This record gives sequence, structure tokens and C-alpha cells, in this order.
Amino acid sequence: MPLLILLRATYRVAWKDVVGDWRRRATLSSMLFFAIAVLVVFQVAFDPDRQEATRLLPGLLWATVLFTSLMGLGRVFQAEEEDGGLEGLLLASVPRGVLFFGKWLGNLLLTVLVELLLLPLTLVLFNVDVWGQLPALIGVLLLGTLGLTGLGVLLAAMTQTARSRETLLALLLLPLTAPLLIAGVQAMAGLLDPSLELGSWMRLLVIFDVVYLALAPWAFGWLVAE
Amino acid sequence: MALLTVQDLHHAFGRHRVLNGVELSMEAGECAVLLGSNGSGKSTLLALLSTRLRVQKGHYQLAGYSAAQQGEEIRHRLLFVGHHTHLYGHLTPLENLRFFADLHGLPPQPATLAAAVAAVGLQRFSEQPVRWFSAGMRKRLALARLLLFQPLLLLLDEPYSALDVQGVAWLNASLDRFLQQGGMVLMASHDPERLESLPHRLLRLQRGQLSDGREECPC
Repeated sequence: MPLLILLRATYRVAWKDVVGDWRRRATLSSMLFFAIAVLVVFQVAFDPDRQEATRLLPGLLWATVLFTSLMGLGRVFQAEEEDGGLEGLLLASVPRGVLFFGKWLGNLLLTVLVELLLLPLTLVLFNVDVWGQLPALIGVLLLGTLGLTGLGVLLAAMTQTARSRETLLALLLLPLTAPLLIAGVQAMAGLLDPSLELGSWMRLLVIFDVVYLALAPWAFGWLVAE
Repeated sequence: MALLTVQDLHHAFGRHRVLNGVELSMEAGECAVLLGSNGSGKSTLLALLSTRLRVQKGHYQLAGYSAAQQGEEIRHRLLFVGHHTHLYGHLTPLENLRFFADLHGLPPQPATLAAAVAAVGLQRFSEQPVRWFSAGMRKRLALARLLLFQPLLLLLDEPYSALDVQGVAWLNASLDRFLQQGGMVLMASHDPERLESLPHRLLRLQRGQLSDGREECPC
């Protein structure tokens, strides 16, 4: 099948999810409010000074991203619940990996949008003066988010028909993404403190992204075949 | 020459056997109506032919492509309209058809999409989200996909349900045109009389096997 057709199908699946979310004003606003609530709770609970806040920032940020992405991932297949949507998707003549990439791209866009709003907000809320490193921090967040959403969308597909799917999704996602989160936290810490290691954690993030995004489309195709 | 061949097809859900050695062959331009009581396996057979369900035992080929290895090729050559319409409520009719076209590798032609919406009498609602549509309007829009391309096989599960008199007439005219162009239609229906003058053969599914539908059901 020509590459253009595969790309168009991927785009269309992502477009359908993003447009659906925009029209329902559902996932994006919930994720954003949830993220702000988590950050405020962290701020009130720890009340860190500026130096301590800089040290805690990577962990706080990644924990907030993980909790927030769980909310988005729980709704990845929400549109497919009405009127046999998933069955309709699976009747498409494009390879099922394309469907996975479309769902992943839609979720990635929403998560990244939340992160882009979240990061400056965190710096303001915790009064951390690392604005000069904002682009690099965004880069590390994006790199980690590629793998996090890749694995997340696969697990969302896996738990889609389960009765307590959101609980199950959290139970599976938290331990499976732990290595990626550790790499993300350490890479961000390395950015903020030059005495800490950065390069090897970045390489590890890339490896996780490649592995998750290479295996997930294949696993998705296998998973949805009855 | 048969374009669709099904040999010794079996299917079970757990320990419950639904299909038990189904044999079927269809040629270009042929229409067949599946009869059978509720739970006899009509929808399961259609799901297998659409490749939605994986073949557990037996063989199924469409235009020489095997369901076991070439599901994408088969899906590229069929259209399935079942109990579910596979429409997204937050999208408009045009957006739903565009979504379908892109996922089936069809060329994006806005005029074709608009003509399909108009052909099923929904042009007045082309800017409205489908979630507000009645069951009949949704069924019409689902069937409008037939106007976007010329599949080899059309699988229909109770296509007349929710359709009004005009909808039934439109569907029969579309099926007639489709058959004349060499397409094949296999539909599950409890009321084959609604096919009216459309030439068709009856098949009865009972005890997991297909037989001539004109014979009385002994069950």
C-alpha cells in the first residue's frame, strides 16, 4: 500500500480523536485541570524553597505528567465505544499498525499540549528560575512522552473491554513505565545540575521510545484480532 | 467462476460451536440472502467473511486472497454494514464519509462525498453532527459508503431495519446497480420479501451449516 495512503489514514484517525475532543471539550480540559490540581497539592504539601524546588522539579513534573496522561489514556478509545466504532476501525483496509499510530498521534498531541502549558506553570508555581533551560526541558519531556503515550495507548487498547479499565490501566502503566520515568527524571535532573549525568539517560530515553514504538503497533494488531 | 469460496468453515465461542462446516461459493453479480433463527450464526458468518473474526478452522477466499494471510486485501474489496453503523457521533456526515474513505485508501474527492450524502437524502443535515440523527438516517449514511467505491463483496446484516419506504426503494435500486456491475451481495435478513424483484437465492443457516433456503426448516 502506498506510503501516502498510510500517512493519510494515520492522520485521519488522529484528526478524528483531536476534533472529537475539541468539540466535546472533554479530555483536554479535564487533563489540564487535573494537572493544575496535582501541582497545587504538591506545592502545598512540600512548600519547598527555591533550591529544594529545583531539586524536586524533575520528579514533580514527571509524576504530574504520568497522572495526567493516565486520564487522557483512559479516554483514548472512548469514541470507539459508540455504535461499533472499534469494529469499524478494524474493518479498515489499512494495516492495523496504522490504526495504532493514528490513535497514538492523537493522544500524543493532547498530552504534549497539556505539557506545554504545564511546564511554565510549574516554574511559576514553584518559583524556580530555570527559564533559560525551558527549551531543553521541553525536549526531554517530549522525548519521554513519545514512549509513555506509545505504551499507554497499547495498554488502553488492552484494557478497553475490562470492567474496571481505568484501574487496570493504572495498575499496568505505572510499573511498566517506571524505567522510562526514571530515565526522564534523571535526564531532567542532569539538565538542571551539570554535575549529574545527562547523556546516558537521554540515550536510555531514546532506546525506550524506539522499543515501545516498534513493538506496540505489532502488539496492537495481535491484540485486536479476535 | 466463483469469486468467493468458503470451505469447511468452523467457528466457536469458547465451547459453544456456532458454525460447523459451512460451505459457500458465490459468483460475480450474485445476491444471496441468509436465513436462520436468532442465534443461528448469521452474524458470526458475516463477521468471519468481513475478517472481523479470525478463521479458526476452514478456508475462506475472496478473489483469490486468503483470509488467513491476506486480511487487508480482502477488507479492501468488501463493504460491511451490520447492526452497528460505525459512525462517529461528533462528526458530520461528510466527515464520517471522509474518515471511511481515508481508512480504505480511497482518493479524497469532496464532490463524491457530497454526492453520496445527497444520494441518501441527507444533504440538509450535512453540517450536523451524526449524534442527532435517527436510526434510519444513520443507516442511510452507513449505506452511502457503497457510493464511494465499487467493492467486490457487500455484506449486509439486516439492512432493511430502521429504513422507511423511500430508504428501502433506494437500497434496492443501489443493490440492483451494484449487482449489474458485477458485485456480490450476501445479506442476513428476516424479511427477504423486501428485496422485491431483485434476483437472489436463499440460504438457510441451521445447526452451523448452510443449506438451500427454499427447503422448510425442520426445527
